[in-house]
Order: sequence, then C-alpha cells, then structure tokens
Amino acid sequence: MTAPVIQVEDLTIDYVVGAGRFRAVSNVSLEVPQGHVVGIVGETGCGKSTLAQAIPRLLPEPPATIGGGRIVFQGTDLVQIPQWKMPAIRGTGISMIFQEPLNSLNPAYRIYDQVAEAVRIRRIRESGRTPVDRRDQPPFDYTQRPQPDVGAELAKPFLPGGAAARAAQKALPRHPELRDEVLDYLKLVRINDPETILDLYPHELSGGMRQRIMIAMALSEKPALLIADEPTSALDVTIQAQVLTLMKELIEEVNTSILFISHDLGVIAETADELGVMYAGKLIEFGPVADLFERPRHPYTKALLRAAPTRYKSEGPLDSIAGSVPNLARPPPGCRFHPRCPLARPVCKTEPAPPFAPVEGAGEGHRSACFFAEEVASLP
Amino acid sequence: MGRSPSDLAVFIARRLVQLIPVLIGITILTFVFTHISVVNPCSQWFPHADPATLANCRAQFSQPLDVQYWNYLVNLVHGNWGASVTGVPVYPAIADGVPATLELVLASLFLMIVIGIPMGVIAAQSAGRWADHLVRIFYLSGWATPTYLGAVIAAIFVAPYFGLPSHGEYTSSPPPFTQYTHMSILDALLAGNLPWAWDAFVHLILPAATLAFINMGIATRMTRSSMLEVIPLDYVKSARMKGLSEFWVMYKHALRNSLITTTTVLGVTAGGLLAGTVVIEEVFGWPGIGAYAYTAIGGGGNAPNFDGAVAVVAVFAVGVVIANLIADILYGVLDPRVDWR
Repeated sequence: MTAPVIQVEDLTIDYVVGAGRFRAVSNVSLEVPQGHVVGIVGETGCGKSTLAQAIPRLLPEPPATIGGGRIVFQGTDLVQIPQWKMPAIRGTGISMIFQEPLNSLNPAYRIYDQVAEAVRIRRIRESGRTPVDRRDQPPFDYTQRPQPDVGAELAKPFLPGGAAARAAQKALPRHPELRDEVLDYLKLVRINDPETILDLYPHELSGGMRQRIMIAMALSEKPALLIADEPTSALDVTIQAQVLTLMKELIEEVNTSILFISHDLGVIAETADELGVMYAGKLIEFGPVADLFERPRHPYTKALLRAAPTRYKSEGPLDSIAGSVPNLARPPPGCRFHPRCPLARPVCKTEPAPPFAPVEGAGEGHRSACFFAEEVASLP
Repeated sequence: MGRSPSDLAVFIARRLVQLIPVLIGITILTFVFTHISVVNPCSQWFPHADPATLANCRAQFSQPLDVQYWNYLVNLVHGNWGASVTGVPVYPAIADGVPATLELVLASLFLMIVIGIPMGVIAAQSAGRWADHLVRIFYLSGWATPTYLGAVIAAIFVAPYFGLPSHGEYTSSPPPFTQYTHMSILDALLAGNLPWAWDAFVHLILPAATLAFINMGIATRMTRSSMLEVIPLDYVKSARMKGLSEFWVMYKHALRNSLITTTTVLGVTAGGLLAGTVVIEEVFGWPGIGAYAYTAIGGGGNAPNFDGAVAVVAVFAVGVVIANLIADILYGVLDPRVDWR
C-alpha cells in the first residue's frame, strides 16, 4: 500500500472557554490512504468538525488548543510548524469545503475573482514561488516578472453592474487563459452557464450553486487532500442529492484523497471507502465501509445503523439511542458510551475504553475500541 | 431600482434635491440665532459713527426678522451673499476659503484612512492583547482631546520639536504665483514650482495631522468592531483555506467587507472634521472658511459678521450632505448587494 496522504496520530484538541476546558477531540488516530475517501460520522457535537478544521490548522487558537498528537502531512508535522507557514500548505496541499455554502464565498467579489484567485495561487506555487520558499531563495528577478495586463485594469468597472462596464469587460477579456481555466473548473462541477456565472456575485446564486463553486474552487488548486466538512447538510434535500451525485462523480474523475465528514450514514455509504465513527470526541470504530455496515463491532455503531432509516416505506417509528450525548466538559468515566450502552458492564464504568484493536470475525483493517467487540454481533 | 448608472444618477439627483429643504432650514436657524444674539447691533458696532451710517444700519436691522430673512434669501438667489457690517462682501472670502478648507479636510481624511483603518485592523487581529490596548489608548486620547487643546499643543510643542511650520499655507504669503485653485499644494504644482509645493506640503502636515488625530477614533473603532464581526465568518475561513497569507486574508477579504460600515461612519465624521476646521484653521493661520467662521462670529475681537456666519454654516451643511452622499455611493460600490435607493 502506498504511503497515506495524511496521518493523524493521537490528536487531542481542547477548547478553553471561560473556566471550562472541553476536550473536543481526544486521542484520535486515523490515516487517509492515497486516492481513498475516508468518511467520519458521528452525532452533532462529537468533534468531527473540530477534527476536520484542526487538520489544516483552521481552528481559532485560542480558544482551541492542540493538546497533543501529530498531524503528518507530506512528512511534516502540521502541529509543530508555526501558523505563518500554514498558508503554503493550505489550498494546494490541503483544501476544505465547508458546511455553510451561503457564507463561504466572499459577498464583495465576483465569482470569477474568487475562483481565479485560487487558480492563481496554484499557478504561483507550481512555478515554485511559494511565500515560504521565497524567504530562503535568492531575491526575485524583476527582469523576469510577467508584464501586468494594463488593459484588464482599465476595464475594471468604476461603477458596478453598468452596461458600459459590461461592454468594456467583453471587449477586453481578463487574462484569457486564466478565464478559460476558471471556466473549465466551473464546467467540471456541472454549472450549465459558466460564462454568465463568472460575472455574478455570490448573493445572486442559490445555495447549491454556491456549494458547487466552493467545490470548484477547492478542486482548482488540485489539493493532495480534500476535506469535505458536511458539504451537503446545509442544503435542501433535492440540492443535497445533486451535490452528492456531483461529489461522487468527481471522486471518480479527480482521483484525489478525501476526508468526508458527515452525520448522514447514507451519504457516507455512497461515497467512502473507509469509515470512522466518532463518539464524544473519540474515534471508536474504523474500517472498510462495507464491512463496517455489515458487521459493526461497536455497540454505538450498531445503534447508529439501526437508527438510520433504511427504506422509504414506513416501518413504524425509527429506533433511537437512549440517553443523550455526554457533556464534554465532564465526560463519563471509563468508556464514554457506557451510560447508553446495552453491553455495559462494571469494567466499562471504571476502565477507559481499550485502544483500537482488530476484531475477530471482522474484515481486514476493521478495528474497534470496545471491550466486548465480539459480542456486538449478537445485539439485536 | 437596480444598480445601473441611471439608477445611480436618479439616486444622486434625489439626494441633491433633498439638499434644498436642508439649506432653507439651516439658513433660517443660523439667521435667527445670529440676529437675536446681538442686542442693538448698530449702536454696538458703530458707537461713534455719524448719524447717516447709523440710520443706514438701523434701516436694515430694525425690520422684522422674517423680512430681513426674506431679503437675505432673495439676495442669495441673485448671487449676492451679503456683506459684513464693515461692507466687506462675503462671497469672495467664501470662494477663496472653501478650496483651502477642502484641502485640509481631504488631507486629514487621507490620514484617517491610511492610519486609522489599518490601526483598526491591527487592533482586531490582536483583540485583547497589548497592540489592541495600545491602539485603543491612541484613539481614545485623540477622541478625548478638545480640538483647541490639541491644536494649541500641536502648534506650541509638536511644531518646534519636529521643526514643522505651524502657521499659514506657505512660509511667506502670498506666494509668487497666481493661486488659481486656492489649494496650496495644487497651486504650486500648477505653477510648476516644486520647492513651493514642498513648502505647502510641510505646512499642511501639522494642521491635517491634528485634525485627523482628533477625529480618527471613530474610524479605528468602527473598523475594529466590524473586523471582529467579519473575521469569524466562513468566507474569511475559506480565504485562509485557499492558501492566502494572513495579510491578504485580512486586507483583501475581511477588510473589504468591514469597510462597508467604516465608510458610512467616515461620512458622518465629515461634520466633525468641518467643525474642527474652525479652531484648527484659526490656530494654524490656515486661510479657509473655518478661520473665516471664527472671525464671522466675532472671534478675535471682530464685529460679528451675520451674513458671513450664515454663509459658512450653509456651506458646511452642503459639505456634510455631500460627504454623506459620497459615503452612501461608496457603500453601494463596496457592497454589491445594495441597490441604489
């Protein structure tokens, strides 16, 4: 097997809010193999979004602090490097699609400017002039600098939205090859009328369109790892299906490694190769999707699968998991799931849950953090 | 209403039409207040005058106030802005003073933008840490300084310390060239006289900096608070996610949206800037309408100049309305979601 794109080892993230200290993510280890889609599921508040944002170091620090562990990306531990070096890794190295497409595009800039900015960043990096490298390299040779496009500057509209400005823009296309590439990416995400979209502002587009543009923007930087943080959950169900279909098709086409965060098992089942289940800040089970769905080896996963609707026909009320998600400021002692667990025994209340271990009778690479993993199969 | 140039033209025209009632109101107010402020103006101003002058004066001021105002308005519409009691016409003084004041106000506005706004960004980036406190001390001290005190301190202590001139537009006045625009730097440049342009620039620094220091606080504070609102938003996160450095994330993505509020506030500060010129120009000997207003209301032992005072207040009112109009236009330019209304 090739080296994983990213290796998260024993990662712990705390939020310090007032006097309290919340351990949002505790001792999570996972890796995303090259070209694979790894899904993470869990209830709201289980720490999956925190984990997703911690990988590119996007969490506001403070209040968040990385309490320990490593995030190894291309041989570099992202936990150790200073924040000012992170921009060089974001975008082309690790990119991310956020939950809220309505707010994730800058309302003040046209779609073209925002996507072109991403393409431009990638081109600068490809030419070897990253902001970080520049500090170690000889000064930039100004005789070699590209000639600025004066015509495009002149064509920038003084007043927005004017007919005269539009005419001027048509007369002088902005950086034609950049424009073509932006168009290519908009076509890649199945936007029917990319030429018109280019000159629109985000507020003139629907949520589904904005999410497509976010996806196009992320892909245009050709990231080694793409993190999709619940990319469909803020959308209408019909739009969700469209974006999901698009994501699935793109996963085939683009062949990038993806960390797919969701609370929707159906979404994960359709997209992911491997699946991790998180509960109360901990990764409790990890394995190939098909195996995990067929033979869950953690009582929580089992309960989660039972709680998900499987057919569209009504079969009576859906199952739910008794109890509620624990307060992360005061997590229960022992295994964090024991208050809600049908298999709980005295040892679960006192001893912390066991480390990940392969489970007998389950597929290869299927690991669970439960004392009684073998007994899960016998649960209803 | 949309966002085409014709919509913008309608918007501007409508706002300019709204200026007419504002002007009528402001002139009535200042006219009444100036005229009731001096009891028996003629005998006060001309205690030893010959009976003919006195009678002439009384003929004007003994009429009912509404008649006096109507006469003033009729004269104004005919292009006669009135005259001081000593017979000096108002219009030439205003015409020469407005560009000089405009130069001063634009220079301080420039300083407020290039210093005040980045300070707000720095304060927001380091919210709660020492840089934030330092910025707050700086703008609050400007905010809390009375204009006259700031001007006097600048003229007496700061000017000699930095070797900056603190009086007038040029070292010697009048300059050896025609003052076409009455903007000191622009006139020297039009005459192609670079040493005098530099001289004018050096003379502008202190009054502009003082005026800016006193009025800057609101720009810094608004930038800071709107940046604090914008920074946690998702699109700032996605700008970071693209791989932009923190500088571009702040100044290209976050500040661009924060400026929408800051611009509106800057339009509001126009009133403060213009009011500040009254004291600043008097202290720094700047030949603008602020200094003219000071003498017109009887400052420096002069006889009050009713017509002059009314004219200056009306010009200030126009200035404030136009500044807010420009701010509103910029608001629409900065925020593509705004329709011209």
